[in-house]
Amino acid sequence: MTSEDHAASAVVAQKIERRWAAISILIVVFLTAMAAVAGIHQATMPQARVEIIDPEKIHLSGEFVETNLGSAIEPDGSVTVRAVGQQYSFTPQCILVPVDTKVTFRATSADVVHGLLIQQTNVNTMLVPGYVSEQVARFSRVGDHLMPCQEFCSVGHEGMWAMVKVIDRNEFMSLAASKRRVSCVE
Amino acid sequence: MNPERLLSLTNRWFSTSVGLTLVIFLSSAICGFLLLPYADADSRFSGIWDAICNAAGFPVKSSATDIIQPEFKISGATLGLAELTSPSPQSIGRGATLAQQCAICHGPEGVSRADAPNLAGQYAQVIYKQLHDFRSGARTNATMGPFAAHMNDRDMIDLAAYYAYLPRIPSSRDSAEVPLIVASGAPTRGIAPCGSCHGTIERKIGSPWLNGQPAAYIEAQLRYFASGARRNDTNQQMRNIARALTDDEIKAVASYYAGTQ
Ligand SMILES: [Cu+2]
Repeated sequence: MTSEDHAASAVVAQKIERRWAAISILIVVFLTAMAAVAGIHQATMPQARVEIIDPEKIHLSGEFVETNLGSAIEPDGSVTVRAVGQQYSFTPQCILVPVDTKVTFRATSADVVHGLLIQQTNVNTMLVPGYVSEQVARFSRVGDHLMPCQEFCSVGHEGMWAMVKVIDRNEFMSLAASKRRVSCVE
Repeated sequence: MNPERLLSLTNRWFSTSVGLTLVIFLSSAICGFLLLPYADADSRFSGIWDAICNAAGFPVKSSATDIIQPEFKISGATLGLAELTSPSPQSIGRGATLAQQCAICHGPEGVSRADAPNLAGQYAQVIYKQLHDFRSGARTNATMGPFAAHMNDRDMIDLAAYYAYLPRIPSSRDSAEVPLIVASGAPTRGIAPCGSCHGTIERKIGSPWLNGQPAAYIEAQLRYFASGARRNDTNQQMRNIARALTDDEIKAVASYYAGTQ
């Protein structure tokens, strides 16, 4: 091998290296941009706050006592839904929300890790004992959605689900006027 | 090339790469701690530090105002006491003496002849919880209320230890005839199998052992849970199930566990 040959192949190697470096930088830029766009426009924002709560005392006081669960109207016109997941049911079993309204789901677990998923929507979060999960949603159509537990939580897991009923806003408001917490548990 | 030259700001390569790294660091910090948190229309930060701390994941205590407090007593029994899982012989002995006042209904050996629950071999946490709830008023019963009113925590722990120590009555039923609702629940109606909490498949602390309980007792309790007359089940865990049970299922469950089927 002559020294000219060597120099020529070094030039080629450098070109290839540069090309691969460019490709990997493009991949990094693409993935970052994708995450940013998804985070801003596809409403897959991670929860803004980490909130902790004592899972052994949620039923005794605070916002997750059973009489405070269900849907509540906030002063700004939005609705907050509070729920508890436990082996093997959600309380309340049937959640009532108005259509075309900002709905904030706040839920936690009383025992093990559960999951809260509302079918046909992008509401999907884990319920971890000790933490409050919060997710904001807006339902554009009236109808019923299943809300199954999406984390295997032991042998009775298949029986753990609730119902989310999206109803007309006026109907919801008239129901909420008589009671301060609304649900569709019979 | 000597190393001092290499790591000096006069080295164009060094200063450029450090500069670039700093720019990337700062812009990602601004993006992650400020731009993205504020881009969320529903974020409600009290200021720039609040947003930064939240993005960094510092936990905040959950707070909510205007909570609707229950008008009834909620079960406040703590079931994690070590004495309930490993009682001392003294505790069991003291429980045996105290249990004499319970024998009229619950039987001298914890096996009732009067449709009161059989307590022999019941989980200690269950006896403790129910006594605690009778005393606090979370569970109401004309007979048990006055008994529990005079007990202190020590008495309750000792009674629980004694009854948990007694042998369970042997099951007389044919295991081949398990009703569907007991064996597999009704997942399409949100009902898990009974045994996934009550001990035969898995045990959830605070759920009673049901085998051998009088049918009339089980049926009555399921109806109380369904109607909301009884609500000392934490977070409605039993009311949710009882409401979904049909009349026939309640009867099938009761006679199965009583062993009369
Ligand atoms: Cu679950």
